[in-house]
Amino acid sequence: MFWLLAQLLVAGLAIGAIYALIAIGFSLLWQGAQTVNFAQGDFVSLPAFAILGFTALGLPLWLAIPAALAVAVLVLGLLFKRVLVQPMLHHGVLQLAIATMALSIFLENVLKDTGGAEAYPFPGLTGGFNLGALFLDWQSLTVLAVTVVTVSALNAFLSRTRTGRAMQATAQNPSVARLLGIDVERMIMLTFVINAVLVTLAAVLISPVYLVKFDNGGQIGLTAFSAAIVGGFNQVRGAVVGGLLLGVVETFAATYGPDQYRTAVPMVLLILFVLFRPHGLLGRREERRV
Amino acid sequence: MTPAGPTPGTPVLEARDLHRSFGGVRAVNGISFSVAPGEILGVIGPNGSGKSTLFNCLLGQLPPSAGQVLLDGEDVTGMTPAALNRRGVSRTFQLLQVFPQLSVRENLILAGQEHVGSRLGRLFGRPDAGLTAAAERMLHLFRLEALADLLAGGLSYGQQKLLDAAMAFMAGPRLVLLDEPAGGVNLTLLGAFRERLRAMNQEAGSTFVVIEHNMDFVMSLCTRVICIAEGQIIADGSPQAVRENPQVIEAYLGH
Repeated sequence: MFWLLAQLLVAGLAIGAIYALIAIGFSLLWQGAQTVNFAQGDFVSLPAFAILGFTALGLPLWLAIPAALAVAVLVLGLLFKRVLVQPMLHHGVLQLAIATMALSIFLENVLKDTGGAEAYPFPGLTGGFNLGALFLDWQSLTVLAVTVVTVSALNAFLSRTRTGRAMQATAQNPSVARLLGIDVERMIMLTFVINAVLVTLAAVLISPVYLVKFDNGGQIGLTAFSAAIVGGFNQVRGAVVGGLLLGVVETFAATYGPDQYRTAVPMVLLILFVLFRPHGLLGRREERRV
Repeated sequence: MTPAGPTPGTPVLEARDLHRSFGGVRAVNGISFSVAPGEILGVIGPNGSGKSTLFNCLLGQLPPSAGQVLLDGEDVTGMTPAALNRRGVSRTFQLLQVFPQLSVRENLILAGQEHVGSRLGRLFGRPDAGLTAAAERMLHLFRLEALADLLAGGLSYGQQKLLDAAMAFMAGPRLVLLDEPAGGVNLTLLGAFRERLRAMNQEAGSTFVVIEHNMDFVMSLCTRVICIAEGQIIADGSPQAVRENPQVIEAYLGH
């Protein structure tokens, strides 16, 4: 019994770690640029398709990943900010959120038209080793290690560098940040670039598990959204806790409950949190609304 | 430290015949004055007299309809607040404007960091931009040492006011514009606050312009006071002279 629980816990944490990466991007965009990105899940699909596309063109995986990263930074970072967020934000936060829903539908159909409707396998790590009765697979361990390194690096960047501090200042009070000479526009752009890096990492980590399919993004995005809400929308730490919690709960629910309800778990948690603890586990109450 | 003006005798700040209208309302209607280096100039006036509009014109937040603003003899009319900030003009806020989720020390470092180092230094330089010592000095001067590592958002209103003021001095400004610094600060803190400001004026050689409602605070802090009513200067002189000026008394009572 203990070993089974431990096994499920590892599996849950591994999937939860990926949700956490996506949820961090989600809450960074909200804090730094008032952008609630309902296309965040499709932002994970795009680099996954790009990597498969580059490998199909003959590029080795170690080159295809940085190439896809460059595409993600360009399209999901710079273009997304310039073409969609910047013009829409003038009309309001809600209008922008709705525009990202439209973007989600658009991206899914572009991926379907160019990549097809099949679920494609994605290269991952195989094998593992036994620790007592616990089987630790390399894929899960790599996911956890990459997440720990990424979150630590991001935290160090935000709290221990001048640019990171300027980004935080921009998120908390853009008008005063501008007055103090901080290049607010550059800081906001940086937020979008960081999100593009996070979703590309998530794409590499999650695709071996979920395969690559044009409409995977909807579910992944909603789970990450729920993770961000559950953790507290205004914190990196919150997104990590929310992501891990959702991954674990989802894995246990799928094992002990009917499998077809697996995808309902994040929604149920989301509803419970919105009703009873709207500021999340670690978040603070905010006056802003979506 | 002595202020290093371009030529001796040049005012730090000069307003020349400033006008600003909103529709038909002449909020600022021909205001001229100059502030000498090291001076603490108080700006008083009843509500709606045009003080805030004047302040916004001086700080680049509102372009004047006519007239000029000179900084060290150089025309800076219409320059953005950030550009003025780079030239050594800083301000405090009437409504609190600190970064609530950063510590008190981090707030102070932020207030100075864009003034030092190069673009490369932003990425590869020291994370504190070499400003920790300056921040510690401000913490000491404004008696904020015990609060240094707390989040600014958790401080009391009066403490945040002190932090706001301390932040204005982080970049070693030539000129500081204080917008109702005493507003909402309790009486116990107020005396200490005035002493801090006076010490900053003497030690750093900064020049101050203070907008304030609290008459006692203005009269005890400032070296010179101007009174504005209906967009024009109606009195200019020592605190004592302005306080006793019949026009000033009428402007305040008649409003």
